[in-house]
Amino acid sequence: MKISGEHQLKAPVEKAWKALTDPAILQKITPGCERLQPVGPDEFEATLKLGVALVKGTYKGKLALREKTPPESYRLVMEGSGAPGFVKGEATLRLREQEGGTLVSYEGDAQVGGAIASVGQRLMEGVARMVLSQFFRNLEKELGRKKEGKS
Amino acid sequence: MATGTKLFGSSIKRREDPRFITGKGIYTDDVKLPGTTCAAFVRSPHAHARIKSVNVVKTKASPGVVAVFTGRDLANAKVGGLPCGWLLPGIKLPPHPALAVETVRYVGDAVAVVIAESAFAAKDAAEKVEIQYEVLPAVTDGLSAVQQGAPTLHSDAPGNICFTWSIGDKEKTESAFRGATIVKQHLVNQRLIPNAMEPRASLASYEPATGDLTLWVTSQNPHVHRLLMAAFVLGIPEHKMRVIAPDVGGGFGSKIFVYPEEVVVAWASRQLGRPVKWTAERRESYMTDAHGRDHITDAEMGFSKDGKIIGLRVKTHANLGAYLSTFAPLIPTYLYGTLLSGLYAIPAIYCEVVGVFTNTTPVDAYRGAGRPEATYLLERLMDLGARARKTDPAEIRRKNFIPADKFPYQTPVALAYDSGNYGPALDRALSMADYRKLRAEQERLRREGRYLGIGFSTYIEACGPAPSQVAGALGAQAGLWESAHVRVHPTGKVTIYTGSHSHGQGHETTFTQIGADELGIPWEDVELVHGDTAAIPFGMGSYGSRSTAVGGSAIVMSLNKIKEKGRKIAAHLLEAAEGDVVFEDGKYFVRGAPSRAKTFQEVALMAYLAHNMPPGLEPGLEATSFFDPPNFTFPFGTHIAVAEVDPETGQVKIVRYVAVDDVGRVVNPMIVDGMVHGGIAQGVAQALWESGVYDSSGQLLTGTMMDYALPKADQLPFFETDRTETPSPVNPLGVKGAGETGTIASTAAVANAVMDALAPLGVSHIDLPLTPDRIWRAIRDAKKGGRA
Repeated sequence: MKISGEHQLKAPVEKAWKALTDPAILQKITPGCERLQPVGPDEFEATLKLGVALVKGTYKGKLALREKTPPESYRLVMEGSGAPGFVKGEATLRLREQEGGTLVSYEGDAQVGGAIASVGQRLMEGVARMVLSQFFRNLEKELGRKKEGKS
Repeated sequence: MATGTKLFGSSIKRREDPRFITGKGIYTDDVKLPGTTCAAFVRSPHAHARIKSVNVVKTKASPGVVAVFTGRDLANAKVGGLPCGWLLPGIKLPPHPALAVETVRYVGDAVAVVIAESAFAAKDAAEKVEIQYEVLPAVTDGLSAVQQGAPTLHSDAPGNICFTWSIGDKEKTESAFRGATIVKQHLVNQRLIPNAMEPRASLASYEPATGDLTLWVTSQNPHVHRLLMAAFVLGIPEHKMRVIAPDVGGGFGSKIFVYPEEVVVAWASRQLGRPVKWTAERRESYMTDAHGRDHITDAEMGFSKDGKIIGLRVKTHANLGAYLSTFAPLIPTYLYGTLLSGLYAIPAIYCEVVGVFTNTTPVDAYRGAGRPEATYLLERLMDLGARARKTDPAEIRRKNFIPADKFPYQTPVALAYDSGNYGPALDRALSMADYRKLRAEQERLRREGRYLGIGFSTYIEACGPAPSQVAGALGAQAGLWESAHVRVHPTGKVTIYTGSHSHGQGHETTFTQIGADELGIPWEDVELVHGDTAAIPFGMGSYGSRSTAVGGSAIVMSLNKIKEKGRKIAAHLLEAAEGDVVFEDGKYFVRGAPSRAKTFQEVALMAYLAHNMPPGLEPGLEATSFFDPPNFTFPFGTHIAVAEVDPETGQVKIVRYVAVDDVGRVVNPMIVDGMVHGGIAQGVAQALWESGVYDSSGQLLTGTMMDYALPKADQLPFFETDRTETPSPVNPLGVKGAGETGTIASTAAVANAVMDALAPLGVSHIDLPLTPDRIWRAIRDAKKGGRA
């Protein structure tokens, strides 16, 4: 499953970059992320609770940020598995200044297997879009709160 | 013979139905034993992977867990792999362990089993099994799997080829093709997934005190299950194992086979000394019940100038899935290649089949099993031939029918048809459909821009594979006879024990109809017992539309033995010569003196009292028989589908469906009608909706009823059915099989109707299923000038 899109943030690039590489913030803003434990430089163990259609379950896996070019881009590599099956994928995130804020664009590919493939594959794209939009909404909120905190 | 009596041929309502429709059936999952544990299987989410490690530490600590076993545990305990029941020359038989040990080969391949105090505890704990896989490349279709560079599933099957099999005369066919008008077609007969209403289940109970193992299992053939499991898998003495197939909610072939789950629960029960139960979730059914069909075929048919078929050449890649299911090699060979003559006189046929392993669920018999594939191929080619020659599709068929005076007829592909008369079924169907009027209507609608199509399928089926000696020579690892034991009780009531198994067929009704008729006693006085190896002599079970033809005939043999013994007793009581005693309507009487009579019940009582028996005759009144028929039975018929296609949306509506079948003599017409209706529904579904789909990485995309399109009643038309009756000469009842005819005929009839509708748009062939999307694209492509 290929997925791509972009999202306009109000925050400047530097600030967005910081948030998008901070494990504490990432855990907070990623829907269903119960744990994001650093196990090495830019490598994490993650626990994610996610429901795709009627296949709900917990996935455990690894997540890594590779080819970091601050504050422009990185590649997110992840794989996880759980009772409903497995998810494997990677995505490239790019940040650039636009209209005083930051345009985040992403492009990725994911494979799923097991129950989520046989039951949920048709719905995966929709679920991914929903999760992403929630992720960016949470990110906006997070960045906004920081601003308020500072002022 | 039961001719002229009142129950044979009467549509009595099914005796089993009150229990089924009030929820009082006893299915495997309904059997409750004290101390039962429940099994949950941990299955591979990958289509092809090496198992690097299996960690069950957390699972064992999970609440309620009794035991966890992996493939390694079974291998260490020397549990045998799943056996294959039909061997072909040069066949490769890679091991099929019940739980994978080193490699998983399809999504759903079981890796471990968790046994716990409840099904929920087992499922929760199963989620905690940690398996590390090294994912390997996968291949899912039968043609890609034999290409160079394709991933190999089994090291002992190079190129993923399980067998290469051929039938017919290659050279003769090639020379026949010289100078012929040839029609060619590449055909995909898509994978189907059976959907029995009751999911598979098994419950094993081992008694440590006696060493007896009882297995309740959703089986179409409990004795075959016992033989294969006892002798080849578990190493249990056959007499210490009892298999019970209680009420079984549909099979369609999928419950013939020995599956990993019943092997594991049986073995585990012996390890634990407690009953172990497993019932499939519907998702497991989709992943692990043996699938059906899945052929990729290139076929060519040659016609002479006057429209006679002069040759047929077929090459098929049959997808067998990841492992050989119990009868997998039989289906695309002897149940397919041998049917390629259809009901046509074809002087030369050559068929080659390559059986191929892929990273998919194993493929085996599914309602029709090989014969729908053969019929679809033949009937598509007949229509393409008719179109190429601008002949009427009904007439090209009639022209090529084997003439009625040519029976017995030896086909070039091994089968010898003992009887047949194909013209009357075609004539009857044409008149029921009002064919001329239909063609006129088609013309009229075309002028309005509406697309109506008329599709034919004139088919033959071979049921009740036989005799055993021939089956053995062709690779069967079992006989194909059937047994029946009939026990008359002292009060004259009767219990029939049959080796056939009813899982929807209504044997409790039809077999007791036969029994009551032959003995001239009330229907209520006859009971049927089936599905228990402890009660019944060895039996072969139900599949291949064999139950009445083979199992019913064995019952008749036993009934005849009983009548003969009864005659001896009656003659003695009546002080008459045995030859002078007549048995009619439940009474033995002296010929010419009907008042000098003894009822069947009086004779039965005397057989058990034994106070006044003929000298030398043993007491008791029961008989066992084994019927090994001399040949298959050959039902045939004509189906006509009328369909309208909406060229804007590609939507198909079946307007009419006419089916004229010849299944020989009919015991219960209502039950046969029901089988025909259900069969047509399944065949129409293959034509229009059903398709088992994998993505390129081997994930099953059609794993639920949301994604796999089963037919619904409101999508189907009113079926107009009728029968011709050509009794089969190979069994005492004159019956043939009726359970699969609908499925065999209807797919081709509907496909041909849709292609006939699309003919003016330049579309000649679309692979199944004929979904609106595919039809719409074919119309669009044809409009662009390309051929579909």
